[in-house]
Amino acid sequence: MSDPRPRVEYLAGFCCPLGGVAAGKPRVLCHGAEIFLSTGGEMVYVYDREGRLLIAVYKFPGQVWHLELLALRKVLYVLCARSGIYCLSLDQTTRSVSRDEEDGGDDQDREDGQVGEPPVPVIPVDPDSCVLPDASLHAFTVLDDTLVTLALGPTQWKMQLFERPSPGEDPRPGGQIGEVELSTCTPPVGSQGESAAPRFLPVLCCASPPGSRTPLGHSRSSEGVMLEGALFGLLFGADAALLESPVVLCGLPDGQLCCVIIKTLVTSMSAPGDPKALVKILHHLEEPVVFIGALRTEPLAEDMEDVHCDCLVALGHHGRTLAIKASWDEAGHLVPELREYSIPGPVLCAACDRSSHVYHSTSAGLRVVDLAQEGSPLDPTERDGAPGSLPPLLYPDNLGVGSLVTLCVSSSAPEGGAELLALSAKGRLMICHLDPHNEAPQSSRVTSAKAGKKIKQLLSGIGTVSERVSSLKKAVDQRDKALTCLNEVMNVSCALLSSREGPRPISCTISTTWSHLQLQDVLVATCLLENSSGFSLDRGWALCIQVLRSSRALDLDSAGSAVTYTIPVDQLGPGGQREVTLPLGPGEDGALDLPVTVSCALFYSLREVVGRALTPQDPFKDPPSAECTPIVLPEQDGVCLPLSEHTVDMLQGLRFPSLGVPHTQALGPARDPIHTFLGTCRVPGSQPAGPESLRAKYLPPSVATIKVSAELLRAALGDSHAGVSLGCATLQWLLAENAAADIIKAQALSSVQGVAPDGTDVHLIIREATVTDLCPAGPIQAMEIQVESSSLANMCRAHHAIVGRLQRLVVEQAARGSSPPDLRLQYLHQMQANHETLLREVQTLRDRLCTEDEASSCATAQRLLQVYRRLRSPSLLLL
Amino acid sequence: MAHQTPLGSSASHVSCLDLWREKNDQLVRQAKVAQDSSLPMRRQQLAQDALEGLRGLLCSLRGLPATVSVLPLELTVLCNFITLRANLAQGFTEDLAQDIQQGLERVLETQGQLEARLEHGLWGLWDSTLRVSSLLPELLPALHHLAGLQAALWLTTNRLGDLTLLLQTLTVSQSRASEDMLLLLKTWRPPAEESGAPLTLQDARGLRDVLLTAFAYRQGLQELITGSLPKALSSLHEAASGLCPRSLLVQVYTALGTCLRKMGSPQRALLYLVAALKEGSTWGPPLLEASRLYQQLGNIAAEIESLELLVEALSITCIPEARQLLIEVELLLPQPDPASPLHCGTQSQAKYLLASRCLQTGRAADAAEHYLDLLALLLDGSEPKFSPPPCPPGPCVPELFLEAAAALIQAGRAQDALTVCEELLSRTSFLLPKRPRLWEDARRRTKESPHCSHWVSATHLLQGQAWVQLGAQKEAISEYSRCLELLFRATPKDKEQGPASSCEQGCTSDMALQQLQTAALISRGLEWVALGQDTKALQDFLLSVQMCPGNQDASYHLLQTLRRLDRRDEATALWQRLEAQTELPQENTAWSLPLYLETCLGWIRPPDRETLCEEFQTSETCDL
Repeated sequence: MSDPRPRVEYLAGFCCPLGGVAAGKPRVLCHGAEIFLSTGGEMVYVYDREGRLLIAVYKFPGQVWHLELLALRKVLYVLCARSGIYCLSLDQTTRSVSRDEEDGGDDQDREDGQVGEPPVPVIPVDPDSCVLPDASLHAFTVLDDTLVTLALGPTQWKMQLFERPSPGEDPRPGGQIGEVELSTCTPPVGSQGESAAPRFLPVLCCASPPGSRTPLGHSRSSEGVMLEGALFGLLFGADAALLESPVVLCGLPDGQLCCVIIKTLVTSMSAPGDPKALVKILHHLEEPVVFIGALRTEPLAEDMEDVHCDCLVALGHHGRTLAIKASWDEAGHLVPELREYSIPGPVLCAACDRSSHVYHSTSAGLRVVDLAQEGSPLDPTERDGAPGSLPPLLYPDNLGVGSLVTLCVSSSAPEGGAELLALSAKGRLMICHLDPHNEAPQSSRVTSAKAGKKIKQLLSGIGTVSERVSSLKKAVDQRDKALTCLNEVMNVSCALLSSREGPRPISCTISTTWSHLQLQDVLVATCLLENSSGFSLDRGWALCIQVLRSSRALDLDSAGSAVTYTIPVDQLGPGGQREVTLPLGPGEDGALDLPVTVSCALFYSLREVVGRALTPQDPFKDPPSAECTPIVLPEQDGVCLPLSEHTVDMLQGLRFPSLGVPHTQALGPARDPIHTFLGTCRVPGSQPAGPESLRAKYLPPSVATIKVSAELLRAALGDSHAGVSLGCATLQWLLAENAAADIIKAQALSSVQGVAPDGTDVHLIIREATVTDLCPAGPIQAMEIQVESSSLANMCRAHHAIVGRLQRLVVEQAARGSSPPDLRLQYLHQMQANHETLLREVQTLRDRLCTEDEASSCATAQRLLQVYRRLRSPSLLLL
Repeated sequence: MAHQTPLGSSASHVSCLDLWREKNDQLVRQAKVAQDSSLPMRRQQLAQDALEGLRGLLCSLRGLPATVSVLPLELTVLCNFITLRANLAQGFTEDLAQDIQQGLERVLETQGQLEARLEHGLWGLWDSTLRVSSLLPELLPALHHLAGLQAALWLTTNRLGDLTLLLQTLTVSQSRASEDMLLLLKTWRPPAEESGAPLTLQDARGLRDVLLTAFAYRQGLQELITGSLPKALSSLHEAASGLCPRSLLVQVYTALGTCLRKMGSPQRALLYLVAALKEGSTWGPPLLEASRLYQQLGNIAAEIESLELLVEALSITCIPEARQLLIEVELLLPQPDPASPLHCGTQSQAKYLLASRCLQTGRAADAAEHYLDLLALLLDGSEPKFSPPPCPPGPCVPELFLEAAAALIQAGRAQDALTVCEELLSRTSFLLPKRPRLWEDARRRTKESPHCSHWVSATHLLQGQAWVQLGAQKEAISEYSRCLELLFRATPKDKEQGPASSCEQGCTSDMALQQLQTAALISRGLEWVALGQDTKALQDFLLSVQMCPGNQDASYHLLQTLRRLDRRDEATALWQRLEAQTELPQENTAWSLPLYLETCLGWIRPPDRETLCEEFQTSETCDL
């Protein structure tokens, strides 16, 4: 079998922008030996193919969007973005100068010389050669003596018809012949239409009826086509056929394919064109139209000199291909035969040759499809009556040349073969010769080799289709699964969110214990997730536990730090339980900042389950670009259901080695002896968590007391503590969440010596007291809770924990309706006033601490501690 | 705090402001130079450059925080920019509305009132801005100018509600909340610009006058179309008395003429039309209106003459006057609408009107000439200057050919008519069903019959008529037969299929199809009569009566044939039926048939219907 790959002849390289030449705007045209080329920049190059040299370079004031050549008159029309249409006369006089200069140079290495600085002087285009200044022009074509332009209005595309201006002559003011607005379109986004260059330009193509008098190619654009009578009449109606009017086909970036009968256009001044009557929408490709052309699928009759195309083709950017032919149905009616194909896109550019081939370039390579009827020799009756119909499927042949951004079928092709002029994305101009012997002639009989090839194509076609089917099926399954998952999630969420009161169907209880882990005692939180609902928690659910160390109360400088642990819940059926333990501290440095808040939540990640089903995984489509991804899920998107929150404070973290509570053998975290040594060498007082033993030796312990009225406590503790003294009951209540509670109850203790997580002592003493001068009714019975510790920080933590509990207790009691006894307001006022002065002093001292240097700040800190002590000294009193 | 300028820089600040103002003035002068330039290219480019300059200047002004001292200049630049841009784009685009909105927000920014914006749309923004600006008198001239541009924008986009509210706010001191927009526009007095103010392309008062005229004209036209004529008259008078360019004055006078004609004062209407003709270079609308007026008056000669003048007038390509680079009245008028009474169409449309009126009024020779001219215009015009008549009301191109053929036959030029018909068939031959295939299908007993457009059948009918005129009965009969064959094959169901002409649906009603069949049958019957084959004629007449019982012509022809064949009983029965039918009120003859068919039906009308009636009457009574 012969190799279908074309012979590529490299001509020249041109400057191209970084990232290569983008498709859509470059153009290449060819007339005889001259090649006219624009690469989407501001230059138009004229290249001599025979001499292999650049003849002229014209520079325009903006991007060049389109070129049209009137070969006979040697006139080149150029559409320059945001400027208008320029008309260049290509007669020899202007160019002979540059050619002479060229000849003086060295011709040997001219071939590659075009890259970089062109050796030919750049001719800036005279602004006076602008024949149609209009910033909104997006496309144009030349038709006989008229210029058809397409301008983008505020909301509509407007087609206008002008008398064709020639170079040098000023166009007459009445040059406009007709105009019509194409049906409303969505203009490219971005209200400042001028700022951004559109990605796709509209495509125009002139179609003329068979009998039209101007011979093709004389004063018509290179893209004009002459259609067969039946197709012409069918597409554009009897009126156009009777008037023998040319028709402009227009493919818009929104995919609309419409046509306008030129002879029916009038100016808006004499009579407005009614778009409904003048513009006929032929089809909608639903993707930007990149090419419109026509070709001949039937073998040509011998006597015909002009090629009358019998098939109209339009290509969309993503590969949707439309082919229209005229055919007769069984009753003899003329009917359009319209077929849509899908070829692998995105299509960068395309061209038709004079037979039945459509060449199109994708980033993967130049491909060719053959729209000729392959012949159905089995049914000869079909053949003589109706013209051949379009093939049911297209098989693009890859010709292997990648990323061509513009194509032009050269007119000087050898007999039977084709020659394509092309510009690659890297700015290389080349000629692709398609060997005539590789392309079997249309009329030849089906040879066995060809049949084999065809079968191979069919098989590969079936292969691709089945591959596609399986991938689509997989996608559907995935979506189904995702939907069931989502349903489950909805059920769980509803169950959890609807049961605000009462026991929740899914709960998480948190408790703490000390345990010995890796040579070190660690406070461990245990979270028990219980699913008592009727639904199961499947893959995708995760238990999120957030540990928030709110050390703010003790350390002004550091904000609370939070750590979130995410544990996947893998299949937790109804009634199931899962226990998660996690260490709270102390960490490596031996510090444990109590209180710590532990909160649990259930999280369902939408991205993991749904996101995968939503992202298209069709290997046959483009990689999803930003605009076509259906829903963009942020990384963290999901459903979050809060379950419970628990605060671990000092009272829960205390250990009581004196009571013989388990897990208290090792006092304090095991330490490196060197650390201990170094610690003792440090200056005392410089470190809050310094060597506690030294401090205990030299510093008096810090003390804080709280007085609570006995009545209040009794009412709050109720009957549960009957039989023991109030002091013992209070202590028991305070340490209820500690493992020591039972021992305290058993030994009826009212004072206890504990050890804080960092190893310092904490002494809790409950004793009875009376408050005398507060109540006018007499002295009040009260319990005094005293906290004593050699470490100020630990004392504060314990104090804070006790106050927190008492606060809750008071709030509960107040809710129950108990009222405090009469108080002597005078005394209270006095207390408040004292406290306020002290607080003010605290504030000023703190402010001073911020500004002072090391030495004086020490003294200030001392003073601050004293004030704090005074603040605590008439102890807190709760009634 | 951060915006406070150091003391030392105040001098440079002032000079910077002066620099910008100088730039604005220079750009305005450039635009005015462009306006006076006689070379359209140069003019366009200069104007485009000025626009870009204004855009750049506006950008740099907007780069600074808004201050009351710079705002008058910024707003003036904005007004100039919008004016020039709307003029160059020949319309107001959506981004201009955004520009206005941004301008207003800048004003509010100086007062720290930005949060109140856009609750009630652009109008809300205007409301709060104008309220704020009462505190800032130095902003007022520029703001009124901008309001004028906003009014123009709202006028073109038909947002009259917002426009009324805006005008009410602008004129609030003068008159209290009037709803009448004309009154509001008249009472609105934009403050005069100070002498040292930056230059503007168009001052606010000029813009106000333009708005007034444009609104009066729009409203008058609207009222004319909806039929509230007295109101239309007063609005149009208002427009005519205002600042009105000549080309517009022609239209206003023509509209006044139309209005007066409809109100039944043709003489006064004529006066206005004459005034319109005197006024300017566009003679189309008044001439067309004059022809309508004469048609209403029954003065056919004058009507035809007006139409001839109209064709003449439209053959002159009118060169538009160089536009001013301002907001002009034309810019604010609605898009020309084919339904508007002022729409006069193209030369070919006028030619068609002339030809068809000639045919309708019995001037067959003239009609034939005009039709031939029209076909020449349409087919040979190398430049696509000529649009066929707009389709839904007018005929489609094939029908134009048919009317031409009918007119030629009417004028006694049968040979020419045959040529026209041949041309029509040859140009559309590839659209017709393939004949060999058709016969083949017939042999295969395919039920469906190929659809053929009605005008193909009608062409054969006219060809038959032409042959009759040439005395070739055989050819005529074969053409009629071909016509009937095509007609009976075509079922109305097929209408959607096939290559429809752009207006096929419009002109092929079932009624027209029926009448076409009847006409063909009667025509063939008449030829049989002429050949002396009364039985064959009888068949055709019988069939035609069956096809279309309402057509009395068919019945009369049948009656005559029955009498000739001496079938008295049937004749009497038919006569009685006819009598009963004539006593009934005539059925709706309002359905309009294509003109060629009307003409055709005219040819086959029994010439001596009255005498036949009387004859039959007497013979009947004798019999009894």
